[in-house]
Amino acid sequence: MSVLEISNLTIRFGGITALNDVSLRAGEWEIVGIIGPNGAGKTTLFNCITGFYQPTAGRVAYRGRDITGLPVHKRTALGIGRTFQNVGLVKNATVRENLATAQHLQVSYDPWAGIAGGPTTFGEERRIRERSHLILELLDLRHVGEERVADLPYGVLKKVEIAAVLATDPDLLLLDEPGSGMGPEEAHALGDTLLELRQQFGLSIVMIDHHVPLVTRVSDYVYCLNFGEVLAEGKPDDVRRHPEVARAYLGTEPEPDPASEPEPEPDPTPTLVGGTL
Amino acid sequence: MSETTQVLPAVPADANDETTVVPAVEPPFRPSRAGWTARGVVWAALAWVVLALPLNILSPFEVGVTDVDVASLAVIYAIGALSLNVLLGYCGQISLGHQAFVGVGAFASAYIVTNLQLSFFLAVGVAALFGAVQAVLLGAVSLRLTGLYFALVTLAYGSFAQETLFGITSLTGGEGGKPAPRPDFFTSGYRYYYLCLGFLALVLWIDWRLTASKAGRAMAALRENPRVASSYGIDVRAYILVAFAVSGLFAGVAGSLVAHHDEVIVPSSFDFRLALLFVLMTVVGGLRSRTGVVLGAVFFALLEEGALVSMFGLEGFFEGLLGLPTEFVSLVVGPILLVLTLTLYPGGIGQQVAPIRLWLTGHRFDRHAGRVDDVEVTDVRA
Repeated sequence: MSVLEISNLTIRFGGITALNDVSLRAGEWEIVGIIGPNGAGKTTLFNCITGFYQPTAGRVAYRGRDITGLPVHKRTALGIGRTFQNVGLVKNATVRENLATAQHLQVSYDPWAGIAGGPTTFGEERRIRERSHLILELLDLRHVGEERVADLPYGVLKKVEIAAVLATDPDLLLLDEPGSGMGPEEAHALGDTLLELRQQFGLSIVMIDHHVPLVTRVSDYVYCLNFGEVLAEGKPDDVRRHPEVARAYLGTEPEPDPASEPEPEPDPTPTLVGGTL
Repeated sequence: MSETTQVLPAVPADANDETTVVPAVEPPFRPSRAGWTARGVVWAALAWVVLALPLNILSPFEVGVTDVDVASLAVIYAIGALSLNVLLGYCGQISLGHQAFVGVGAFASAYIVTNLQLSFFLAVGVAALFGAVQAVLLGAVSLRLTGLYFALVTLAYGSFAQETLFGITSLTGGEGGKPAPRPDFFTSGYRYYYLCLGFLALVLWIDWRLTASKAGRAMAALRENPRVASSYGIDVRAYILVAFAVSGLFAGVAGSLVAHHDEVIVPSSFDFRLALLFVLMTVVGGLRSRTGVVLGAVFFALLEEGALVSMFGLEGFFEGLLGLPTEFVSLVVGPILLVLTLTLYPGGIGQQVAPIRLWLTGHRFDRHAGRVDDVEVTDVRA
């Protein structure tokens, strides 16, 4: 069973068709890349998956369950976590406070018990703090824990955002341009981080990014959107060499020898359940 | 090419990297023995002002019975301002009808004690419940209307409550007023003052635990960015209603206390001016700052009752020089302070006292601690 299955999704805003008959699948443990020029509807697609937008037609299924009508917070509870293109964090809070907020669903006490200052809430708050600490450690972010989000540079925030979404304990990670604002080396390191996280937490990841080397390196499967439609899909290198993609997205003909990155797939991933897309 | 790369790198990339910068970790600051003594002295002085001054213990001043009543009122206003702070500060929801929140509690409490002859403490509980229920009903409207439109609804609700709801003579006694006797043990002004302090302590505890638990974090997130909040799994609508409920709860307690403080209540005392005062107390006090809001409430309560003016002998200045009667001083001084707060010190009184507050709780004295640079967009959105 695929983790995420989008079938024939269409959404219109007034006269504009932002997405037209888009179908997409992400299997267990799979990393799916979405590329496409600005305005292609990539973020709109994410907003349909997370529930910020209601599609005009079509269906979003998560692990076989139709979630098309579910509100956002319930989808998070099911295990769908997402990051935002322009940093989805509470800007006036510190990084640590953001992580605590993101663990909303992990807190075991009732909100009213917390407000009344019930005896169990103190220990639970300590547990939440320790968990934040572990997540920060994992992503090498300990040194920014006490910093206010608004004071941190964009590249760091992109990582903090991943830490925050991990704190929600997701099964499926939707990353909206995680590599933006990063240089080539940082983006490469981000790729390693993503592969590692998948390994460690058993995540499926759908990521939007303009950083084509990053996407082709980590993705098992790539979709290219253009004007709200799937222009091409397939293995990363096939999509990259696809002439339509090159024209719409890269703006040039593909290079004759695209094998400029020597590293093979460094992940010892077991057989992909949905790998035969 | 493929021979040189391995599936798993034998050595982690940074194992030989000796340039790794370990961020310097400062040991936490611990005050010296003298430092603790100094802090202890200040704490004792504060406790003396709050607890002993009204009883004239070790006091060079002569505090009369009417002054203690003013002090009780200041404590009650602090509860009311903390109530508005939950909505306006934590949740970013404006309420310009907060006099109705307090009034509902006041009349509910008076009805229970006078008409039903039940105990005062039961009445406080029921008043808190009534406050919460009416606040949640109003909150349900805020889920559909936001910003300025919701502010107008709260304004309308406040005047509706004052003119119509509190005019139901059979329940509220109408313009003639409704008696609200104090509970047996607390009839004296001094004892009632300590009773109010007890309730303020309870409200402060709840307020503290609110901000330190998941509900408070949820409110902070949804105030600033509802989309991010919901992507964290927070049910935004539910937590807005929780904020209204808590705010109504506090307001109900304040209403009950103010009713039995005055011992007779009339609908006209819950007019728009009271709502305006609550907004002034909260914003000038400093949104989201417990200390600031309490100090702001005390300041405006004393100003409103004329205690501050007479304390500093300023009647001559306001009445003689400016031709301004004492009862209107707060309505002139308040907006001026409001403008100063919004332009110069967005953190209000809370920002001003933050260095002292932090020093008192064992931190190093830092003149710039607790600095708030800008008015948050979310604070003026409404």
